[in-house]
Amino acid sequence: MLNILVSIKQVPDTTNIRINPETGTLIREGIPSITNPYDVVALSLACELKQRYGGKITVITMGPPQAKASLREAVEFGADRIILLCDKKFAGADTLATSYTLAETIKFLQKDDPFDLLLFGKQAIDGDTAQVGPGVANRLNIPVITYVIKLQDIDLINKKIIVHRKIERGVEVLEASLPVLLTCEKELCATPFVPLEQVIKATKAEPEVFTAEGPVIFTREKLGLKGSPTQVKKVFTPELKKQGKIYNLEEVPLEKVIEEIIGVLKEKGLL
Amino acid sequence: MNKYLYDVVIIGGGPAGLSTGIKLAQKGLKTLLIERGRFCGAKNLFGGVVYTSSIKEIVPEFPEVDPSPVERPVTEEGYFFLSKEGVVKILHTKKRADESFTALRAKFDAFLSEYALKKGIDLAPKTKVIDFIRNNGFIEGVIVDRPTSFEDPSPATIKAKVVVIAEGVNRLLTEKAGLVTKTFEPEEVVLAVKEVLQLPKGELEARFGLSNNQGLAVEIFGEITKGLPGTGFLYTNKTTISFGIGIFLKSLMDLNLKPYEILEYAKLHPYFRELFKGSETLEYGAHLIPEWGIKGLPKPYGNGVLVVGDAAGLVNPLFREGTNLAIYSGLMAAEAIFYAFEKGDFTERSLRRYEELFKDSFIYKDLVMLKDLKTFLLSNSHLFQVYPEMIYDICSLYFSAQGRYKRDVIREIFGIIKKKRGYWGILRDFVKIGRFLW
Amino acid sequence: MKEVWVFIEQERGIIHPVSFELLGIAKKLALALSGKVAGVLLGYQVELLVEEIFSYGADRVYLIEHEVLLYYRHIPYVKGVSELAKKYQPEILLLGATPLGRDLAGGVATQLETGLTADVTELTIDKETGHLLMTRPAYGGNIMATIVCSQHRPQMATVRPRIFSIPEREPLHRGELIREQIEFKEEEAKVKRLDFIPKEKMVNLEYAEVIVAGGKGVGGKEGFGLLQEIANELGGEVGASRLAVEAGWISYDHQVGQTGKTVRPKVYMAFGISGTIQHRAGMQNSDYIIAVNTDPQAPIFKIADLGIIGDWKKIAQALLRALKRERGFYE
Ligand SMILES: Cc1cc2nc3c(=O)[nH]c(=O)nc-3n(C[C@H](O)[C@H](O)[C@H](O)COP(=O)(O)OP(=O)(O)OC[C@H]3O[C@@H](n4cnc5c(N)ncnc54)[C@H](O)[C@@H]3O)c2cc1C
Ligand SMILES: Cc1cc2nc3c(=O)[nH]c(=O)nc-3n(C[C@H](O)[C@H](O)[C@H](O)COP(=O)(O)OP(=O)(O)OC[C@H]3O[C@@H](n4cnc5c(N)ncnc54)[C@H](O)[C@@H]3O)c2cc1C
Ligand SMILES: Nc1ncnc2c1ncn2[C@@H]1O[C@H](COP(=O)(O)O)[C@@H](O)[C@H]1O
Repeated sequence: MLNILVSIKQVPDTTNIRINPETGTLIREGIPSITNPYDVVALSLACELKQRYGGKITVITMGPPQAKASLREAVEFGADRIILLCDKKFAGADTLATSYTLAETIKFLQKDDPFDLLLFGKQAIDGDTAQVGPGVANRLNIPVITYVIKLQDIDLINKKIIVHRKIERGVEVLEASLPVLLTCEKELCATPFVPLEQVIKATKAEPEVFTAEGPVIFTREKLGLKGSPTQVKKVFTPELKKQGKIYNLEEVPLEKVIEEIIGVLKEKGLL
Repeated sequence: MNKYLYDVVIIGGGPAGLSTGIKLAQKGLKTLLIERGRFCGAKNLFGGVVYTSSIKEIVPEFPEVDPSPVERPVTEEGYFFLSKEGVVKILHTKKRADESFTALRAKFDAFLSEYALKKGIDLAPKTKVIDFIRNNGFIEGVIVDRPTSFEDPSPATIKAKVVVIAEGVNRLLTEKAGLVTKTFEPEEVVLAVKEVLQLPKGELEARFGLSNNQGLAVEIFGEITKGLPGTGFLYTNKTTISFGIGIFLKSLMDLNLKPYEILEYAKLHPYFRELFKGSETLEYGAHLIPEWGIKGLPKPYGNGVLVVGDAAGLVNPLFREGTNLAIYSGLMAAEAIFYAFEKGDFTERSLRRYEELFKDSFIYKDLVMLKDLKTFLLSNSHLFQVYPEMIYDICSLYFSAQGRYKRDVIREIFGIIKKKRGYWGILRDFVKIGRFLW
Repeated sequence: MKEVWVFIEQERGIIHPVSFELLGIAKKLALALSGKVAGVLLGYQVELLVEEIFSYGADRVYLIEHEVLLYYRHIPYVKGVSELAKKYQPEILLLGATPLGRDLAGGVATQLETGLTADVTELTIDKETGHLLMTRPAYGGNIMATIVCSQHRPQMATVRPRIFSIPEREPLHRGELIREQIEFKEEEAKVKRLDFIPKEKMVNLEYAEVIVAGGKGVGGKEGFGLLQEIANELGGEVGASRLAVEAGWISYDHQVGQTGKTVRPKVYMAFGISGTIQHRAGMQNSDYIIAVNTDPQAPIFKIADLGIIGDWKKIAQALLRALKRERGFYE
């Protein structure tokens, strides 16, 4: 039996992000929210492990009320308990405050029944920081393995796990003792095609809502904007470099263009 | 034993399926609605005007609902006649602001599905019905593309006393159920394309002269479709505009035009270019509108099965009705199902009740009245070309008549009429339209 | 004296070039703060690397050596860096935004309860406040955000490789070496490396001098064969857009951009790449950009030094012929 926690985040679908060219601000209107794709991998893995070893899946997210949709999606993957951390006091959190809020919540949830495996996404596609997972692990004082691409083995009796971790020069095969926090890469697990009953159940699921008032007891100063050492000072659209020469092959002969390229390569000392 | 047992299964989570579901749930029938999109409304498209009276039939507390699917109440309604150079507008300020409102499909359907869930139906989004369970000419349920359970990977089968097909225009399952034999022809469908445009903040109100709780809905004729039989439309939402065009698929195919090309072309028209200046396209979509007419309708019932909404061909493009017809057909289907449950008989014999109710309704009568609409429009395509230009040219003369001898102006106006269509031509058109509508 | 720290990323005694890039920018930041640059080196038997660190401009090196630090593991490395920082109170701590650097940074920032900005592409000191201004892309590279950490120290950032260039090496430059002794126990690490599977072929995109890249417009695997030939002629590497990678024409190691690699070759050739913002994010720092595209409106032309409107294949083939001729292999 495995006791699994998955931490997920709802993010704007960045494939659809548009910037207002005049004001340089994000157009939020009509942009669909999705569950962070790497967190879907985490949910998929949890789903697979639950089928294989039996156990319980708890899913948490911190976010606005709409984030319920992501928690409902988690039920499709077999989540047994879903929790939304929602309070204005949580808002505006950077990764330090986020990891504090999540870690305190996890401590509360595992008081009686400690988690064996904590699954996070590699990173959230809105901020792309990849910091929350390691942050939470440090606060919980448990090992963390980031960028996991394969779960090779779990030994439930000796409480050990063997995973593959992607790094620049290759793949590390690592053994860790449970509990451990993993951050999931795309390759780790395919999204299962979940059965009908789960889909039906998910539409009716209502998450438990935790606020800054309880049931978890937080240190106020560490929450949300107040607890965030980083501040966004300025937001702007990246500038384009000035345009260079343009040749149209319909107007300029091929030889001339090739000559030009060769010239550049020579000038740069590449030929 | 089958894992999934329901009284009624509904295929499709558009207004038709959802209103059927809401009505059934109100009487406590165990109902499952299956929708292939990520959520109800995710894959759907409509122009954007919905009629309050029909909504109230399924959501009595409407419009006092939160969150509300209303973008803006329609307070001004009318026609634009677009010539190459400009536009003549006829706008009517409505006596009542609560008759209709603009909406966006994604929100509107999601609103109805939330409501249906609250009333107690089961909902299975992201799930596609792939076939029926059949037994001796009876439809006894459906088969979906999802596994039965984590343990059993075979496609889930769902048993039901009655299956309601609310699949929309692509009526593949209606065909599979044997209720319609032929697929549709290009002249039987209108292809509608639509964009949702966002204007810079405050510009929408400024450019259309609207306050925050006023809305505009217009149909556009003429140059907008390059003079092809069809219309354009423009509706104002809270912060966006729904702008689109519907043209017979046949005309598009004949001219080898792609739908988005027409829309792009329309946006280049000087009037719209100015109107949409600085706008940003948020959404783009294309969708078919059935135009089967009374003769091409499927048989709307069978043993254990009913067809509602677009799938049943219930659209009246001339008066921009579709959503409301879908809703009404859902209500009638629900009523027929109650009747069948009362009698404990789910054969054609009792489900025929649906057709009886339907034939009594204004929907059917309208369809009978407009039975030759597509033939009429396709064979009188000049109406879309000649008149908008003519109206604009006449107005141009008339409104620039200052400082001239008015009889000359009038003479020129008659000259235009003569040149563009001829007196006899106009008379013939009037008689034709009159006859058609009478 | 304010110190700007750079975490020196090493594996098996080889320093990751991003650490040198960071020493370079750290120097500029230190100058603005009238402070000093320090390298932080953890490992086992790595002292011989210290000279190299000095030669790239470090005034100090903090060194922790221990068996437990033989290869990177989160818990002991976090402990080592955090304890150093607690003791010496650096003003700024920079790490490479590599898998290792990001893994470490998240832990250290939490231990120190300070702010951490990820994946930074620009670093400057605010003249008025003396705070570090950290600029980074967000929302898939669609916008840039400048982030500050005004109340907490150190100000931490991970920085993408190849954003800053490697500074000139001064072989004779020396500084002060500070050795720290910290107790580590093997059990504390809680994670053990059982095996390491090196990549069959390392694609050295980040540090290639020439990159011949292809996108959706290249049309298939065969197209990338041709690009590979050109790259071979020039001793360069092949790059790709995400769509080409997703189509399975070439492996992910070759992807350039927001979710791929950041590169800054002397010459970047883009064949059949539209140049969306996510792709540009990875290559716009290239010295010279040559773009070939049939669509005159393709955004890639907006950043190209030399843009060619035309079919990629025609140009690629002609270029290959010309290159072979240049090298005297032609017929
Ligand atoms: C452009 C940009 C760059 C950033 N770079 C960094 C960086 O380098 N380092 C760093 O540490 N952080 C950075 N951040 C912050 C970091 O991305 C996020 O803090 C982190 O990923 C978690 O964010 P979040 O989910 O708390 O906030 P968001 O990204 O805003 O996500 C949604 C959030 O909504 C908030 N919320 C709104 N209403 C409610 C409500 N009623 N109840 C509860 N919550 C509510 C919650 O905090 C929730 O998490 C950056 C943020 C931005 C916008
Ligand atoms: C969060 C996020 C992260 C992303 N990260 C990355 C990333 O890291 N890297 C990346 O590349 N993309 C990334 N993308 C995807 C990116 O948005 C684009 O989809 C992608 O870069 C487009 O690839 P392309 O230019 O090859 O294809 P297209 O946009 O389809 O362009 C193909 C081009 O080829 C031209 N062409 C066609 N035929 C020919 C011919 N015969 N000769 C010459 N030209 C021809 C066409 O005119 C066109 O301009 C990301 C997207 C998101 C949302
Ligand atoms: N607000 C949040 N609620 C729950 N989990 C989160 C939240 N933010 C980040 N995470 C988790 O941390 C991972 C990395 O996020 P980030 O550090 O923001 O890139 C995500 O994939 C999630 O698993």
